[in-house]
Amino acid sequence: MEKLKKKIRSFSFWNWVIASIIFRLILIYFPNNLNLSSRPEVSTPLTSFRRLSEGYWLKQLSMSPYAGSMYHGSPLLLSLLGPLTVKRIEGQPNHLLYSLVSVIADVVSAMLIRATGQNLQVAYFGTLKSFDLVKQIEGSEVHSPGDVAALIYLCNPFTIVACMGLSTSPIENMAVILCLYGACSRLIPLAAFGWVIATHMSLYPAILIIPVIFLLGRGPDAPPRKLFLQMHQEKGVLNQSKLPPCFSWGPIIHFAFWALLWSVYVLVLCGISLKQFGGLWEMFKSTYGFILTVEDLSPNIGVLWYFFAEVFEFFWNFFLIVFHANILFMILPLAIRLHHRPCYLAYVAVCSMLKSYPSVGDSALYSGLLGWFVNELSDMQFSLFLFCGYVGVSPLSPVMHNLWIWRGTGNANFYFATTMVYACLQIVLVVEGVSAMLNHDRKLRSLITGKPRDAKS
Amino acid sequence: MAETIENSHSDEKPKPRVRPIVRFGIFLVSHSFLVSIVCFTSGVLALFLLPVLAKNTYISENALMPGSASPMLSNQHVSDGNRLVKDLTNSNLKSSETGIESHKIIAQYMLDVGAEVSFHKFHPQMNQFHPLHFFSSPDSGKIQENYSCSSYGINTVGIIRAPRGDGKEAIVLVTPYNALTSSFGEVLSLGIAYSVFSLLTQVTWLAKDIIWLVADSQFGEYAAVSAWLREYQTPKFSSMSALNAEMCPDINNLFEIEVHSMAGSKFSNSFRRAGTMTAALVLKVRDQSEQFDDTISIYAEASNGQMPNLDLINVVNYLAVHRQGLRVNVEKLWSFLNLGWLKSLGEIFESLANIAKSLNPKFKFGIPATEYVEGTAILASSLYYQALGVPTGPHGAFRDYQVDAITLEISPKFSLDKVWRNDIILRGGRLIEGVIRSVNNLLEKFHQSFFLYLLTSPSKFVSVGVYMIAFALLIAPLPMVAASLYVDSNSSSNCSKGDSSTPSAITDTDEHGITIRSWRWLNSAKLVFIVHLWGAIVSVLPYFICQIPDCSPTTSFMIWVLLSILSLLILNSVLASPFACVKASQEKEWALVKSVTISSVFIGLGLMSVINFATAEIGALLMVPMCLLARPLKLDVRAGTFRSCCRIICNLVLGHIAFPPAAFFLLKGMLDGFGSANVGGFWMWVESLWAWNSATYLFIVKATYLSWMSKADARYQRNIFNIHSKKG
Repeated sequence: MEKLKKKIRSFSFWNWVIASIIFRLILIYFPNNLNLSSRPEVSTPLTSFRRLSEGYWLKQLSMSPYAGSMYHGSPLLLSLLGPLTVKRIEGQPNHLLYSLVSVIADVVSAMLIRATGQNLQVAYFGTLKSFDLVKQIEGSEVHSPGDVAALIYLCNPFTIVACMGLSTSPIENMAVILCLYGACSRLIPLAAFGWVIATHMSLYPAILIIPVIFLLGRGPDAPPRKLFLQMHQEKGVLNQSKLPPCFSWGPIIHFAFWALLWSVYVLVLCGISLKQFGGLWEMFKSTYGFILTVEDLSPNIGVLWYFFAEVFEFFWNFFLIVFHANILFMILPLAIRLHHRPCYLAYVAVCSMLKSYPSVGDSALYSGLLGWFVNELSDMQFSLFLFCGYVGVSPLSPVMHNLWIWRGTGNANFYFATTMVYACLQIVLVVEGVSAMLNHDRKLRSLITGKPRDAKS
Repeated sequence: MAETIENSHSDEKPKPRVRPIVRFGIFLVSHSFLVSIVCFTSGVLALFLLPVLAKNTYISENALMPGSASPMLSNQHVSDGNRLVKDLTNSNLKSSETGIESHKIIAQYMLDVGAEVSFHKFHPQMNQFHPLHFFSSPDSGKIQENYSCSSYGINTVGIIRAPRGDGKEAIVLVTPYNALTSSFGEVLSLGIAYSVFSLLTQVTWLAKDIIWLVADSQFGEYAAVSAWLREYQTPKFSSMSALNAEMCPDINNLFEIEVHSMAGSKFSNSFRRAGTMTAALVLKVRDQSEQFDDTISIYAEASNGQMPNLDLINVVNYLAVHRQGLRVNVEKLWSFLNLGWLKSLGEIFESLANIAKSLNPKFKFGIPATEYVEGTAILASSLYYQALGVPTGPHGAFRDYQVDAITLEISPKFSLDKVWRNDIILRGGRLIEGVIRSVNNLLEKFHQSFFLYLLTSPSKFVSVGVYMIAFALLIAPLPMVAASLYVDSNSSSNCSKGDSSTPSAITDTDEHGITIRSWRWLNSAKLVFIVHLWGAIVSVLPYFICQIPDCSPTTSFMIWVLLSILSLLILNSVLASPFACVKASQEKEWALVKSVTISSVFIGLGLMSVINFATAEIGALLMVPMCLLARPLKLDVRAGTFRSCCRIICNLVLGHIAFPPAAFFLLKGMLDGFGSANVGGFWMWVESLWAWNSATYLFIVKATYLSWMSKADARYQRNIFNIHSKKG
C-alpha cells in the first residue's frame, strides 16, 4: 500500500513536470502577443533580454559591450548566450533557441532543488532518529519536500513568466541553486563554483557565504549540541557516538580554496574577453557599480527606484550605504538564531527585499526554496492571506503600469503603491516563515525534553 | 528582532494582552454578519448620496483662461460657412452616387483659405476580438491583409500651420460626414467647422496647428476616425501602400484625376501630419430637435470607462453657458426621471439637509429634490456607459492614444431655415473658437484636473476620492466574511481533534498530525482555480466560434453554450477528480471553498475598480449579496427551517438573475418588452462588447462562473460524496 502510494505520487510528479514543460513550449510560440520581455516586472536592467542582445551587437562591432550604459551583465553571458540572441531558425519563433535554454535551465534547477530536498529530508530524519522521535512521524503523512519544492518552482507562474520573458534570471537562479545543492551534498568544488558564478552575475548571492559556511561546517540539519547534552543528562547516559559533529573548519578551508580558484578563473576569462574594452575595471564599474549605486531609476517592482528619484542628490550616498548595510543587519541576527538550519537561512537570505533591481524571477527562486520546508511550515499563519496577496498583487502591477504609462490617468504613485504592497507581502512572508520555523523547533525541543516548556524560554 | 517575533507569535495558551488593532480586527471578524449587513447597506446608501456630495466643477489649469478674449468670428466667416453648406447641398442633388464630389468641394474650400489638404483613404477594419490583446498597447502591429477594393472611405484632412508655433502640437477638429446620405445636420456641422477654420487661417495668436478632419462616416464615425488616427500615430513603412495601389487601380486613378484637377500647390497625395495632439473636438449637429432651447450635448465616455480630462468639459461648459447662452446637456437615463421612489428619496435628503441647516446654518449640503433626481439620472447613465466600456462617439478613438477628446452635439431649437442657420453657425462657431483658443494657451498637455470622475450635471462632478468610499463600503464585507469563515473552519477542526484525542496523542497531533492544517485551503483554492480556468476558456471560446463562417447569432450562441458545458465536463474529469479525495469533513469544506471564492472575488473587484470603476461598482452590487448568501443547497434543505428556506430562495433567485444571459433578458424585457428578447440578441450584445475589447466582457464571464459557484458548491459536494462512496 505504502509503495503504491509512493508510486502514484512519483508518477504524478513526473506528470506535472512534463505538463509544465509542455506549457512552456506552448508559450514560446506566443512571445509577441504576450510582450513579456518588455514588462518591468520581468526584465530589469540587469536581466533584460534586449540589453543582452544590444551588448552582444556592440561586442560584435568591436566596441565595449558596456558602452552607452545598456548592458550590465557578465561578459561571460555575452559569449555564452549572445550568439543565441541573433540566431534564427526559419519558420520558428524568433528566440526559440534562447527560450529553450531558459526552459532547460528551469528544469535543471528544479531537479537540483528536488535532489537537495531529498538530502534535507534524509538529514532531518537522521536528526529525528538521533532523538528517538521517528515513531511519532510514522503514521502521519509527511510530504516529500524535494518533490513539493521542485513542483512549486516549476509550476510557479512567476517562474514561467520569468522564463518566457527571456530574462536571464533562470540562469542566475540556477547558479544559486547549484551552490546550495553542492553545499548540501558536500560537493565542495561545485558549491564554490555555484557561489562564484552567482556572485559574479548578480552580486547579491554573495550573502550565501554565511549559510554555505554553516552547511559545510555542520551539515544540512544539525540540532543544537546543547539539546543533546540536555537530553542525555536526563537519561543519565551520554553516548558520544550519537553526538552531532562539531563545527569543522576543514571543508570551509577547502571551500575557500575552491572559491578562490574559481573566481580567479572567472576573472581571467572575463579579462580575456574584455581585453580591448577597458579590462576588468570597466566590468566592475558597470556591473557591480551599477547594482550598488542604483543608477537606473526606471520603475521596477522594488522600492528603491522611487526612493532615489525623490531623495536629494547629496543624501544619495548615505542612503545607498544604509540600504545595503540593511541587508547585512537583517541577516546577521537571523544567522545566529537559525544557525542550525542553514538551508532555511539561505532561503531568508535569498529573498532580500532590498535588492536594487528585483524581478519576479527572484520571488520564483525563494518560493521554490520555501517548498523544502513544507513539513516544518505546515502550521504557518496567514497562509491564505499571503496567497491571496500574491494573487492580487501580480495582476495589479501590470494594471497600474498600464494606467500610468498607457492611459495616462494614473501616475507613478499608483505603481509605487503596488510595489509597496509587494514588499509588505514579502516582509510578512519572511516574518511568518521564521516564526513558524522557530515554533517548530520549540515543539521539537519540548518533545525531546519531555516536558512542555514555557514558550518564552 | 527574532526574539520579538518569537514573543509576539509564540504564546498560544495564555491569553495575554492583545493589541487594540488586533482586538478590533477580531471583533469585526466575529461579528462579520452584522458588520457586513451594515457595510453593504451603507455602501448602497452612499451610492445614492453621491449626487448630494457632488462638487461644483472649476477650471483647474490657469493657462486655459477661457473666455478672456472676445470672439473674433464675424458674419464674414459665417457667410463663408453658409456658402459651403449651400454648395454641398447642391452637389448632393447633382451626384449622390459617389461621395467623391463633395469631398472634392470641401478640399477646394480648404485650399481656398490657404490650408494644406490631403486625402486619407482607408478601408473599414472590423474590430476583432483577440484574446491576447487586452494588455498590449493599442494596435501593435495589427495589419490587415485582405482589402476589398470596392469598399473604402475617404477622409479629407486640412491642416493650418500655426504662425507662432513650431509645429510640434496640434488641436484636432472632427466633423463626421457621410457624403452618400448626407443629412442636413452633418452639412451644417461642416459649415460651422469651416467658418471656424477660415477664421483660424487669419488669426495671429495661433500657437498650435489646427487639423480639421472630415471623417467619412459611411462605415461608422468611429471606424473613420480610428483609421485616420492609426495611420497618424503608427506610420507603416511596409510595402503595403504599393501593394494596395496594385490591387486597386481604379481608386488610384480617381486620386490622379483629383491631383490634376486641383492645381493648388498645397495639395498632397501623401499622408500629412502635424504635431502631437493636445485635444480633439468632435462636432455634430442634430437634425430634428425636440428641445425647447438651443442645447449642446457633451459625450465624453471613451472605451473601458476612460474619461477625458475634466478641464476640457469645464471649458466647453463655461463657454457655452456663460458666453454663448447655450444649454449644456449631459446624457441621462430618462427612465430615472419618472421614478417615484427616487423622488421621495430626494425629498428625504432635502428635508434632512434643511433640518441640518436649521441646526447649524453652516451646513449647506442639501440640493433640491428635482435636481437630485436629475443628478441621479445623469450619474446612472455615466455609470452605465462607463461600465459598458463602449465609447459613446468618435472621440473614443482619441483616448486610446491619450488624447483628450469630447463630442459636442448641437441641437438647435427650430427647424434650420436661413436665419436660424446663421445664428447656429455664429454661436457654434464662436464656442468652438473659444475652446480652441483656450486649448491653444496650454503649455503642457491636460494634467491638472481629474481623469477619474463621474458627472452628475454638466457643472458638477464626483471625484475618485468620494466614490471610492461608497465602493469600499460595498466590498468591505467580503474580506471580513472570508476571514471569519476561514477562522471558523480552522478552529472547529482543531476543537474536534482536541476532543477526540487523549492527552498523550495531543502532542502527537501537535507534532505531525497537523499535516498541512493551515494549508488545507489549498484544495478549495484548486477548485476555485478550476472554475476560474473554465471561465477563462468560456471567455476565449467566442474567438474561435466567430471563425466559423455563416453562422446566425442564435446558432453560434448555441454552439457557445454546448462547448462551454463540454469544456466544464472535460476540466472536471481531468483536473478535479484526482484531487477530490479530501478527507476533511464536508461541512467544513464548503466553508473553505466559500472563503476562498469570496477572497478571489474581493481581489477581482478591487482590481476591476482600478481598471474600470463603474463596472466594478455594478458588479459589486450584483455579486456581493450573492457571495454572502451562497450556501450549499443540500445543507439548507437538510436544515429545513424557515430561515434556510428563505436563503435557498434568495440564492436561487440571485444566482439566476446574476447569470449574465438571464440578466440581459430581464433588462431587455423591462426596457422593450419581453417579445424582442431572444438568444441571438445576447450573442449580438456580447459580440459588440468584445469587439471593443471591453473589460466588461471579462467581467461578465467572471460573473458567470460566480453564479455557477453557488450551484457548484452543491454539485461539488455531490461529487466528493460519489467518489467516497465508490471508494467505500
